[in-house]
Amino acid sequence: MSDLTALLARAGLSTPEQREHWTMKWISTVDHKRIGMLYLATALGFFVIGGIEALLIRLQLAVPNNHLLQPDTYNMVFTMHGTTMIFLVAMPALFGLANYIVPLQIGARDMAFPRLNAFSFWLVPFGGLLLHFSFLAGGAPAVGWFAYAPLSETPYSSQLGVDYWALALLVLGIGSVGTSINLIATVLTQRAAHMTLRRLPLFSWMIFVNSFLVILALPVLNAGLVMLLIDRLLGAHFFLPPGGGSAIMWQHIFWAFGHPEVYIVAIPAFGILSEVIPVFARKPIFGYEFVAGSTVAIAFLSLLVWAHHMFTVGLGHTVDLFFVASSMLIAIPTGVKVLAWSATMVGGRIRLDTPMLFCVAAVVQFLLAGLTGVSLAVAALDWQTKNSYYLVAHFHFVFVGLIVFAILGALHYWFPKMSGRMLSERLGKWTFWLMTIGFNLTFVIQHFLGLAGMPRRIYTYADLPGWGWMNLVSTVGAFLMAAASLLFVWNLVTSLLSGERAGDNPWKAWTLEWATTSPPPHENFQRLPPIRSRRPLWDDANPGRPDPMVGAKWKAETFAPEKNKTAVIAFIISETAFFAVLILAYLFYNATPQAGPGAQDLNLAKTGLFSLCLFASSFTLWRSEVSLNRGRQRAMRAWLAATILLGGVFLIGQGLEYGTLFRNGASVNVNLFATSFFTLTGFHGLHVCVGLIALLIVLGLTLAAGFKRRPSPALKAVALYWHFVDGVWLVVFSTIYLLPHLR
Amino acid sequence: MTTGHFLFTGWTWGGASLPVGAGTLAWYLAMFGLHRRFAYFAGALGLALVTLMSPINALADGYLFSAHMLQHIILLLIVPALVLLSLPRSLSLALRPRLFGHPLVGWIAGVGAMWFWHAPALCNAAISSRPVHALQTVSLLVLGGVFWRQILAPRENERLSPPHAILYLFSACVTCSILGIIITFSPVTVCSIYAMPPVDRLDLLHTIRVGWGMTPERDQQIGGLLMWVPMCLIYLSAILAQIARWFAESGSPATEEI
Repeated sequence: MSDLTALLARAGLSTPEQREHWTMKWISTVDHKRIGMLYLATALGFFVIGGIEALLIRLQLAVPNNHLLQPDTYNMVFTMHGTTMIFLVAMPALFGLANYIVPLQIGARDMAFPRLNAFSFWLVPFGGLLLHFSFLAGGAPAVGWFAYAPLSETPYSSQLGVDYWALALLVLGIGSVGTSINLIATVLTQRAAHMTLRRLPLFSWMIFVNSFLVILALPVLNAGLVMLLIDRLLGAHFFLPPGGGSAIMWQHIFWAFGHPEVYIVAIPAFGILSEVIPVFARKPIFGYEFVAGSTVAIAFLSLLVWAHHMFTVGLGHTVDLFFVASSMLIAIPTGVKVLAWSATMVGGRIRLDTPMLFCVAAVVQFLLAGLTGVSLAVAALDWQTKNSYYLVAHFHFVFVGLIVFAILGALHYWFPKMSGRMLSERLGKWTFWLMTIGFNLTFVIQHFLGLAGMPRRIYTYADLPGWGWMNLVSTVGAFLMAAASLLFVWNLVTSLLSGERAGDNPWKAWTLEWATTSPPPHENFQRLPPIRSRRPLWDDANPGRPDPMVGAKWKAETFAPEKNKTAVIAFIISETAFFAVLILAYLFYNATPQAGPGAQDLNLAKTGLFSLCLFASSFTLWRSEVSLNRGRQRAMRAWLAATILLGGVFLIGQGLEYGTLFRNGASVNVNLFATSFFTLTGFHGLHVCVGLIALLIVLGLTLAAGFKRRPSPALKAVALYWHFVDGVWLVVFSTIYLLPHLR
Repeated sequence: MTTGHFLFTGWTWGGASLPVGAGTLAWYLAMFGLHRRFAYFAGALGLALVTLMSPINALADGYLFSAHMLQHIILLLIVPALVLLSLPRSLSLALRPRLFGHPLVGWIAGVGAMWFWHAPALCNAAISSRPVHALQTVSLLVLGGVFWRQILAPRENERLSPPHAILYLFSACVTCSILGIIITFSPVTVCSIYAMPPVDRLDLLHTIRVGWGMTPERDQQIGGLLMWVPMCLIYLSAILAQIARWFAESGSPATEEI
């Protein structure tokens, strides 16, 4: 106890006043609303950094033959600009909004796992610091946001920049997966009574669907980053053709993540548009079912079509053909959405307040982004415009034209709820017009620049006809956008201090977040209105003509699963994606025989025996659960101890196998067999260790107190994870040890 | 043999397809009579016969891996689905023991049929041995039926609820896509017989390789891509149907208040 007091005293937290100080309140918070605002503030901070980088790029390109930035510096600046804007601005801003709004919209008190929530958030600023620390450690990464191998490999980027880049993205990726698992568990298990899944507001629905995309796509990037780090730090050759590796493998892995990533930031933006447009058109959304359903189709298709980023790689006409066709399909569900938003506005009494202005502009600009997107899906056109400013213009129309505009709309829309004060409408309109004019000046012209042949990522250019003035226009536009951003921040600050009081529901909106005070109390709701349709506040305000009731047809709608189990299943889904990449990589790298150590050096019999121990541990753990359910605490503990013992024996077996390999000279950088073998089994071993730690904690808990609840959610969750780890080993063992004997 | 000649003569008239097809038709009419859902059955039967008798079959029989893949997908994913849709809505397909009705069994049947028959040894055996080939065809139809039963069972209460069905279809799709990706990019030949046909029964090899430009590598790539992309679109269509089912109103106000 005295240790704790001393510790608190040293941290300056010995008195209640110190502990209640506002800095502590924010740093130690686990409240979803504060965490949401912390996310948004972090995103804003990085937006300033990424914005300054963008201005540097535009200044450098403002006139031909400019030498404001050195070529190396220019490469660093555009790499950091892209990485920052995607991983440290767009994703945290959308996670922040999701964090703040989703629990309110579903009538929950908080997220399912408040501490996990705080953990996931704090990974963002620290990941960002790690990335930016590279400036001090010999230079930021200068390889572009997709860090194509072999440029990103040690022989070509010997500075530490890429290492920091990969480590930071790993940290951020883990945080994103954590948040998304939390959001899935929140939507599934924390909904208010009567808030069935079919009554979910569209923003919450889209965040829910999107979270599945995050937990499937981010682990793919994480696996790739791990492989890149093994290459760089341990001297392996995953992506280095001179050592037998494949640079194209990196592109596949990166785009298998990278394409869904576009939708990971776009789908929440769609959600924002689907909330704001109906409120300001004073009509319910047109075709709720179609907007909700097309989201699932978009998420599904986005996982399927990554190879359209690789038309110029030379995968062959056959491959290109299939991906042209499937990429174009995405235009259908996105088109459905644009039609639904437009139809919502038709015949509505439209109020053009700032949030609506941003959202309408987002729809229009997204339409143009979609049209250039369809054109880029045509491989023949893609060949001509790849890596030109046409592409730059296209994806900035998606990322800025749609996503940033939607986020700005959302901030103007939900700021009154978060702060209790209105933003200045006059400043808001100035922000909007400056932003819209600036954005279109910057990027519309870049389509033409690209068609005129200007490649992206060049630090300067000759004075070719038309290039000079077009670039200058683009630069002027960028500065208008910067002015708009400054105005927005000014609006935020002044309105926070002296804005008009907002009241509970300033926009007369219909979803549950407006049914509580602004800002909401710590517990979110004093009382909830009855929920019988998708617009509970409309029903409440218009008892004479309520929305048609949305019935509860399916058991799955009202079904609220246990939250630990839900979260572990979501975690298992994401881990499956991670291991799938490593297993596929193993298969790919070992498809052809290679010099040096190989599968013939492995000891099938011995490892088979140790594998049996691992498989047996799944059985003992199952018995342990059964014992608990029957109320036999001692038997439960004994089975649990046996599980831990068997897991430990398996690890010893792995150690022996490693020892033999090392003695035979098979270290991780010898050849691709050794690299892929140690990567795959090493990560599996790491998961076994994590499982063992979790089991030891459970054992410790039962020895201390025993489980009161039967069946125990904690034991159930840990058991699910352990069975998963065993299942992975079944696949890994078959792939590594059995497959070579089948040939 | 030229392409035109082949399209004319490449039909497989012999074999068991026609008699078995006729028998199934008679069985269906005897069991359920001629009703509205017969159209689905006619579609299934027609598609199965075209797949098993048309030049696709001749190509799949030792010439083109991609043609085999097309057959495989139609027989596993389209024909059984249409047959299930053709059954009267009152028919119970409950399986005994109940374990067989578990979604995991259906899932493994659907996904397993894909992986199992593409193990190199089995893929070759199915071409070189008639009985194995027949076994493959029948097993695809049966396993496809077991897979789709979870989604398309005639009785509503024997189907998965839409969220579970979406998860079921999505995970099956991803698992099959992975195999498609492996086949597309694998430097190893999956079915060596297609790469080097031991006999050129129809004197067609030259037309295929030179006239159509179908090298063994491209052939395998198309096969893998068929499994990766169009097959996923079948699952996607099923997922969209589940979304439609999910959002369709129940219509009976009695069940609405919860």
